[in-house]
Amino acid sequence: MSNNFTSAVRSELKRMLDLGCSFADVRFYDEDSSERLVIYDGNLEANYRRRERGIGVRVLKQGAVGFAATADLNALSACFDRALANAEAALWLLGFPKDMGKAQPVKGKYQPPFEKDPFELPLQEKLEFLKMVDERLKDKTVEHRMVSALFQKRRIHYFNTEGTEIERWVLNTFAEMVVMARDKEGRTQRRSYALDSDGTGTRGFEWLSDPKAFSEHTERIKKELGEIVAAETLPPKRRDVILLPGQGHLQVHETIGHPLELDRILGYELSFAGGSHVKPEMIGSLRYGSEKLNAKVMVVENSPGTFGYDDEGTPQHEYYLIKNGILVNVLCCRLDLAEANALAGKTVVRESGASARAAGFYKTPIDRMTNVCVEWGDDGTLDDIVRATEDGVILDMPVSWSIGSNREHFHFGCEIAWEVKEGRITKVYKNPTYQGHTLEFYNSLDMVGDRSTWRLFQVANCGKGEPNQIMEVGHGVPVMRFKNVITGEGR
Amino acid sequence: MLEDRIRTILLEARDYARRSGLNAEFSFHRERSSLIRLGNSAIALSTSEELTRLDVSVQDGRRVGDFTLTADITSLEQLKSALRQAEENCRNALPKDYDPIFGMVEETVDDTRGYDPELENISPNSKAELCAKVIKSLKPKGRYDFSGSWSTGSTEMFYITTANDNEAYRKMTDGRLVLVLKESIKKWELSVERTQKRANEFSADDVAQEFEALLPIYENNPGYKTPIGNQRVLFGPQAIAELVALSVWSGFFGRAYEEGRAFTAKNRPGDKIFSEMVTIFDDPDHPLVFGMPFDFTGKRRRLFKLVEKGVFAGVCYDSQTAAKYKKERTGHDLMNWDLVFVGGSGPAGLKEALALADNALYIPHLHYTHLPDPTKGIFTGSSRFNALLVKDGRFVSPIFSSRITDSIPNVFNNIVAVSAALVAQNISSTYERRSPEAMAVPSWLLCDNVRISDVADGF
Repeated sequence: MSNNFTSAVRSELKRMLDLGCSFADVRFYDEDSSERLVIYDGNLEANYRRRERGIGVRVLKQGAVGFAATADLNALSACFDRALANAEAALWLLGFPKDMGKAQPVKGKYQPPFEKDPFELPLQEKLEFLKMVDERLKDKTVEHRMVSALFQKRRIHYFNTEGTEIERWVLNTFAEMVVMARDKEGRTQRRSYALDSDGTGTRGFEWLSDPKAFSEHTERIKKELGEIVAAETLPPKRRDVILLPGQGHLQVHETIGHPLELDRILGYELSFAGGSHVKPEMIGSLRYGSEKLNAKVMVVENSPGTFGYDDEGTPQHEYYLIKNGILVNVLCCRLDLAEANALAGKTVVRESGASARAAGFYKTPIDRMTNVCVEWGDDGTLDDIVRATEDGVILDMPVSWSIGSNREHFHFGCEIAWEVKEGRITKVYKNPTYQGHTLEFYNSLDMVGDRSTWRLFQVANCGKGEPNQIMEVGHGVPVMRFKNVITGEGR
Repeated sequence: MLEDRIRTILLEARDYARRSGLNAEFSFHRERSSLIRLGNSAIALSTSEELTRLDVSVQDGRRVGDFTLTADITSLEQLKSALRQAEENCRNALPKDYDPIFGMVEETVDDTRGYDPELENISPNSKAELCAKVIKSLKPKGRYDFSGSWSTGSTEMFYITTANDNEAYRKMTDGRLVLVLKESIKKWELSVERTQKRANEFSADDVAQEFEALLPIYENNPGYKTPIGNQRVLFGPQAIAELVALSVWSGFFGRAYEEGRAFTAKNRPGDKIFSEMVTIFDDPDHPLVFGMPFDFTGKRRRLFKLVEKGVFAGVCYDSQTAAKYKKERTGHDLMNWDLVFVGGSGPAGLKEALALADNALYIPHLHYTHLPDPTKGIFTGSSRFNALLVKDGRFVSPIFSSRITDSIPNVFNNIVAVSAALVAQNISSTYERRSPEAMAVPSWLLCDNVRISDVADGF
């Protein structure tokens, strides 16, 4: 970034203070690139690169927030003026005055660990790799197959009126493979694998091309697809449910992550994504689950939920959301803390959770998940948990997910179920579904697997906010067992 | 007509591509968006975005490469660079095992019928003023908080290719207001929604009146926990739009149909698949939809029949699927369709619908629907705003959050009556770019034997 542009940004921030703003910040996306490659049944059906560049400005005046964005870098002043005008318009109907709290100036840089930058590699090399995976997915039992990769690279400069100046790189690699075939009823079944990790390692192309991380899973998913195709539909009844991390990460995302986003708790998402069953005064006392439940925001290097500093300049740090089953904290940015504490009538949230995130230069930061993880426990390996189960199913990988508007109840469909009877896996079922009520469900958590069962999954497409934003997050979860859950569909 | 400066550069880029021997498509998208978001009866956020995007696609035989740029269009050099990126992607692409269809604008289109400068430029102040009036008129009457959003803006789309000299251009404005009233102790939520193509299509008074009509039922009655099992359900507009979208998604997409993943896969056009009261068209000329006149292969969009009187009428083929399966493309290379669920013979008004329903659940909104099994058209989703119990033809109580898990064929084969009156339902997405889309749906749809699979203890 040129010195002239930096000077112009600093000058504009000072101008906003002179015009009576209590706070202003600007994010300059010097480069925001993504590349998506999809090979479907051997055909390269998506082959695109996208590049974005621009600035997003947020100002706070007398407790009102205004935001404006432009891709025209010559229009910096005009963009600040529009953000200010938007804040002044919001003063027409001001509620609880927004406040950034105590100034927290930071200067820093962040770069994620990677060895091979996917954007520096020739397209042919990436396609050759994906084609190799595609070839491995071929099988006479597989009717359709897909392998895809998504690479992201961003350089973001952040400045605010408190003197914070941060430069950070974001680099993410996502990949998925899917095989499909029809069962005897003519219904298409699928089995998939998404690039995950144990949290260590790097985030570049070397991760994807490591056979253990991705390509080695082709034979397994083909075999399991064959078992699903030959299987019966899961009969409905109440039984224990053992969630593998492939399913557990989405369960945590939807029923711990989203309901604990402070903007949802405060009611800012009601017209779109919905609210939360949590009220501010419950923070610190609500029994969210059994004592086995420890949910935590983690800083995991090899995760799209780790990015150094959030879009308010707050450094990422670790903290518990749920400790031994009690709700102790929420996902929040600086802007909403005072309102939450005022509504609760006491201090329930002490500091920003570094959760202010924007999906691009043209989006305003909102409360988002980062790495909402469940800590591993001491109930042993998956085999140990299976041995301890009388009547249950092991479930993996989401097919569908539907959640109540306050995240109070849910319904999930999965790719595969393995029946467990008297401590042994007995057979495979297809089309498994399960449903429950969030607090009751987490209170039935009675076994949590050890470190060997813990995997970090990536979510590339978490949608939220108005204007809508798609964000990348990470979830590390162990194998978890829940008692007496409604499974399968009746009629 | 697109602004001369940008149009000239784009046409120069097309000529440059031709001179370079490239088959290239240029798809331009410009939006001016503005939104206020409300929370706790105040404006929590006021935003505006001015964004320009250009998608460039290059095709060489069976190879295709794409590049998207989000930045102001400032020079021919900038577009040449974007073209070179797409060309490089194309050159290094894997060849397909079929001949992809190259885009060509069938006929020149210059459509600005849906553009209203007054709506494009509506100020955040005037939005705030209307919302403040609604809140002020209702807030003193109870322990309410309001949230919501009001998004307005304009969208321009321009599409050209090297195949010929035709140009396709469309500029339109759209707006969507959603106001949510939440009771702070019991936590029930009411919503009032407005779709707009032009400014001044609604007032604070009529929004407030719609809330006021519902409030006594919520204030004076406890929540009703409906039994699990099959029920008669009277669906309202947002829920109907959701059902139509799910139906089209799981039953009428060419790719899913050809691969046997659609619930219609065992059917052929001409088969009866739904009640004869179901007719669904994609009709860009319908007055209640936003009307996308062309798709992004340059195909002119005309009325396309999906279901006519319950009979399977057609499958939608985007160009990729059409090329792969050697079918005719149907004008569906786009995000925003113009779906119409044709009205029936039922009375227009909700009051008459209640009398007809007699005893039923009124579910006007379906929240967070998904498809556990698209091959059977099985969907799941829960009730949300304004859901009420209908007893002896009257609203008697709000209902607790109730989940429906059923199949599209079952719901659309158990229709009792369909309203004759159609309403516009704005289903626009702004995830990636402003993408205006509205459906025309009956004001109500009465169905029997809809499966309620779960009920919460609260709203």
